[in-house]
Amino acid sequence: MNLFPEERDLPEGRHRQLKEFVMTSLDDKPRSRPRLRVLAPALGLAAAAAVAFPLVLGGTPAHAVAENPDGTVSITINEAKDPKALEAELRGMGHDIVVDYLPEGKTCATRPRSQNWVPEEQARLAVSPPTSDAGDFQIDLRQIKEGQTGVLEFAVREPQDGSVVAGIWARVSDGPVAPCELVDGDAPLGDPGH
Amino acid sequence: MRARVRAGDRRAFEQLFDQYAKDVYNHAWRLTGDWSAAEDVVSLTFLEAWRLRERLDPDGGPLRPWLLGVATNVARNLRRARRRHEDAMARMPRAEPVPDFADELTGRLADQQRLAEVRRAIGRLRKHEQDVLLLCVGAGLDYAEAAEALGIPVGTVRSRLSRARKKLELDLAPRQTQDDRGTAVRSIKESTG
Repeated sequence: MNLFPEERDLPEGRHRQLKEFVMTSLDDKPRSRPRLRVLAPALGLAAAAAVAFPLVLGGTPAHAVAENPDGTVSITINEAKDPKALEAELRGMGHDIVVDYLPEGKTCATRPRSQNWVPEEQARLAVSPPTSDAGDFQIDLRQIKEGQTGVLEFAVREPQDGSVVAGIWARVSDGPVAPCELVDGDAPLGDPGH
Repeated sequence: MRARVRAGDRRAFEQLFDQYAKDVYNHAWRLTGDWSAAEDVVSLTFLEAWRLRERLDPDGGPLRPWLLGVATNVARNLRRARRRHEDAMARMPRAEPVPDFADELTGRLADQQRLAEVRRAIGRLRKHEQDVLLLCVGAGLDYAEAAEALGIPVGTVRSRLSRARKKLELDLAPRQTQDDRGTAVRSIKESTG
């Protein structure tokens, strides 16, 4: 027996239906993808720690979480609002994690947020470069062990052309994590030195 | 065919659909494990292929590897592809329910179970190993064709496939012994070449 089952034809009549559909849709104008823009260091992101991704405004729901076959999860953020809803969804997958969105010109009032960050080489929470779609944030929740807390900080920007670019900072804390109360400031994402 | 498709010849594109829709459908099924999603991937693959036709290398052979490469990306990013072609997909005719012929239904269920078992094993591979394995072992592309489909060097295809095959054979081996179900983790072209 071969590894895969035998190939099949499209169901009867479906080939013709799909061909007609495709041929009559060729002139439809596809929606253009948002332009990927790398955040300049002047925006205050730690260049070594932050990865740039596009966010798309106007989509619903505000975010989506999908489990990948390799055990990681992909997060798509359609609208940079309600980080706690995303946090709740990730927590619902059985891991202690906190999520915060940091708009331009804002930072967390309390730094450091943890006294005991797990070194990144021991717990790579963010999968970079992503092994799935380049537009998603890919997270490996399995890096968060019992008693630890995962932290995701997203930098969100809303330029006038309708696209939003965000940086992500993701770490695992071996202990409690201070909440992120937003205050004015241009500090990089994450705790200094991590 | 390649030059005509690249130039936007609709008649040639229609022929391309007739020639390769089944290949794309089955590749999409192996990628998604879902017949209905596979139909969406077929439509989206050809819409994407039309959009990307001018990027086709003017020199080359049959377009099957390129199409399967497009299908691989579409299936991996199905949500994004659906969003990009949202207006068209809203008009896509829905499939009629599968007729309840016992044999066909049993066959489909058996295939689904078999594919689910294989997909679980493949899901434990790295993504780029999965892509190479599904193109070479699933769709029967040779190294050069898979390299063209994925836009990577032939040597990379070879090494990824080798790693994938070893992992998969180790993973599936205990099950073979258990139920005496042999598995050929080799593409047709490799087995006969």
